[in-house]
Amino acid sequence: MNIAFTEEQEMLRKAARDFLTAECPKKKVKELEEDEKKGYSPEIWKKMSDLGWQGMVIPEKYGGQGMSYQDFTILLEEMGRNILPGPFICTVIEGVYPIMDAGTEEQKKELLSKIANGELICTMAQLEPNGLFDASGITLKATHKGDHYVLEGTKVFVEMANVADYMLCVARTGKGTAGDGITVFIVDAKSHGIHVEVMPTIGMDKLCEVQFKNVVVPSKNVLGKPDTGWHIVENVMRRGAIAKCAESIGGMQAAVDMTVAYSKERVQYDRPIGAFQALQHIMADMWTAMQTSRYIVYQAAWMESEGLPCTKEVAMAKAYVNEKYKWVTEKGVLLHGAIGTSREHDIPLYYRRAKSADIRYGGTDFQREIVANKIGLVS
Amino acid sequence: MDFKLTDEQVKLRKEFFDVCKELEQKKPQGYVGLESNYDTDEGWKYHLYCAKEFARRGWLALDWPSQYGGKGTMMDRVFFAEARGYYDIGGADVFGVEMLAPTLLGAGNEDIKRRFLTGIASADVMWCELWSEPNAGSDLASLTTTAIRKGDEYVLNGQKTWSTGAHRAHWAFAVVRTNPNAEKKHQGLTFLLFDMKTPGITVKPLYYMDDGHYYNEVFLDDVRVPVKNVVGEEGKGWQVTQMLAGFERSNLGAIMCMQRQLEDIVKYCNETKEGGELLAKNPLVRNRIAQVACDLESARCLAYRIADAQSKNEMAPFDASAVKITSGELQARVAHMVTDLVGPYGQVKISRWAKFNGFFETWYQHHFRLNIAMGTNEIQRNIIAWNGLSLSRMK
Repeated sequence: MNIAFTEEQEMLRKAARDFLTAECPKKKVKELEEDEKKGYSPEIWKKMSDLGWQGMVIPEKYGGQGMSYQDFTILLEEMGRNILPGPFICTVIEGVYPIMDAGTEEQKKELLSKIANGELICTMAQLEPNGLFDASGITLKATHKGDHYVLEGTKVFVEMANVADYMLCVARTGKGTAGDGITVFIVDAKSHGIHVEVMPTIGMDKLCEVQFKNVVVPSKNVLGKPDTGWHIVENVMRRGAIAKCAESIGGMQAAVDMTVAYSKERVQYDRPIGAFQALQHIMADMWTAMQTSRYIVYQAAWMESEGLPCTKEVAMAKAYVNEKYKWVTEKGVLLHGAIGTSREHDIPLYYRRAKSADIRYGGTDFQREIVANKIGLVS
Repeated sequence: MDFKLTDEQVKLRKEFFDVCKELEQKKPQGYVGLESNYDTDEGWKYHLYCAKEFARRGWLALDWPSQYGGKGTMMDRVFFAEARGYYDIGGADVFGVEMLAPTLLGAGNEDIKRRFLTGIASADVMWCELWSEPNAGSDLASLTTTAIRKGDEYVLNGQKTWSTGAHRAHWAFAVVRTNPNAEKKHQGLTFLLFDMKTPGITVKPLYYMDDGHYYNEVFLDDVRVPVKNVVGEEGKGWQVTQMLAGFERSNLGAIMCMQRQLEDIVKYCNETKEGGELLAKNPLVRNRIAQVACDLESARCLAYRIADAQSKNEMAPFDASAVKITSGELQARVAHMVTDLVGPYGQVKISRWAKFNGFFETWYQHHFRLNIAMGTNEIQRNIIAWNGLSLSRMK
């Protein structure tokens, strides 16, 4: 047992932190949030690909770096700490990994090296207006017609669909409401019949409604096999959950640091407000929430990296971190007083992102239900 | 990063669990947690029986240097604590084995080590701690029990309180004031060991809210203690008490106790109906239990991180404070949850009507110990704030 990162991983962390600090200060974060068209910086995206980030977990033979999932989460922690608006998580979790898991050799060759080079942005169109995370929520139809399928339906909360090159669309090709009969399609985002509209969200993170009206998708763009695609989605949900948790730990660190620093500068009643025990205890609890979040996430990331079954551990981590990130950032805003509620200040960036992170890849109640099943409560 | 145990560690951990599982069968009825070691004669006998079983296996001296009869590693101590916690059994004297022994190893001279470590390892000597006083609880350094030097003895006068098991213990370790005129209150304190049969010691019970006898007031009237029983140096007693931070602080024992509780709760819900439907199928019950499971797992992961760090002689003091707060408050929440879950039976103490054999009704009243003793959770928060986050200390 060795519950610590390697020297190389700490170097990766430092390099990521330095890059993000220089390239994406908070002023840039707010600009990107307010950018209605894109919501990310193509310049930063290109520099990230030069550093090998988009290709980090892609095998070297497809132009990537062949690094581990745990290494990837170190990057995400730093992105959460700094905040980096953009399609990084969706491209890797919802594009790279599914293609690596289930793609044909042709699909891998076609897409992975372009993703690694920063040429492609991917996202997955999974959720529908019913808001359900499980397979019963999939009702968008894909009708097989010879050498193609025709997609009809609506997806919501599709991250960065406004700039995506490909969307992995989760559709129902079979009968029934469960996981059987689900197919994942690699859909060119410029296909005729696709209409994208950005939904206004607390996180200002470019989650989109995507309407598919008679969208034609070649049969060769099926990812994996028809009717058996739900496992691809499950893998996305699991890896995505840990990814969001890693990002959240970074965000919690930033919120704690910011709040403690402010409490040492802000003077009221002739002393820094950080001298008042009531506030000290809240900050100690914020720190405790962050630390207790850290290792449950590292455990899940390690298990995923090692290929160990970890559905329970991931659900536990997500359910736990969802609540802690929201709590820590809420306290962060409160301890800043009124200034903490202003657009000008940075602490609300984290508070808003905590809500977004909560829901992404399954909210707390969804995860707790998985945990309830996994610890043996009969259902 | 690697959370995996080695094959050897898995095997040793299993051995600890197997032995504790056997010992669990001999537990007296109504035995719940540390306090049960001291309350009844049956509990005390059981505690001594388990202690002897552990002593003959060398398990009370884990991670000690071999010249003092020790064997094994810090991680072995952690696994042993987990096993005892899971089966909620006694046998490892929290004062002698877990607190005093590491202190003697760190601060005691050879004479002290030679005279006292053997009795701890063999379970022949059980200890109590004489620290708190009526006016010195969290602010321990304000203590006023004096120990005035007269030749080769100290003469002790004062009163200690909240001393767990003092009515059963053979020996005591105490922090006393050898220099009442020291400039700062932390100075002038000395760490002393003495026999509880020394003339002048009076032990009076302090009955708990449930009428149990766990804690005591201890009155010291001209109690004479040899100078050679000082641990460390005269006047440096505060530093010695700080060294107690070196004992195993992962809290994995308490966490594994809750793991077992969780398993028992799941079993109960899978077998018990309310309103014609299994409790396990009630979405509110599922959600609440799942939340506890998540919180427990997060505490367990942080506790393993502390254990791993300590096994490498790295301190993780703020993590230890964090896990102490988290696990103590979680135990309180678990007790509240279960005493809610069982409806009106949540108020029933150990008896033929009690659910879970009165386990959670006991914890409903006993969880305070976890959140008050060994530095209240508020003090832990102060430690994190002052030392971890560098916020100003109160003046």
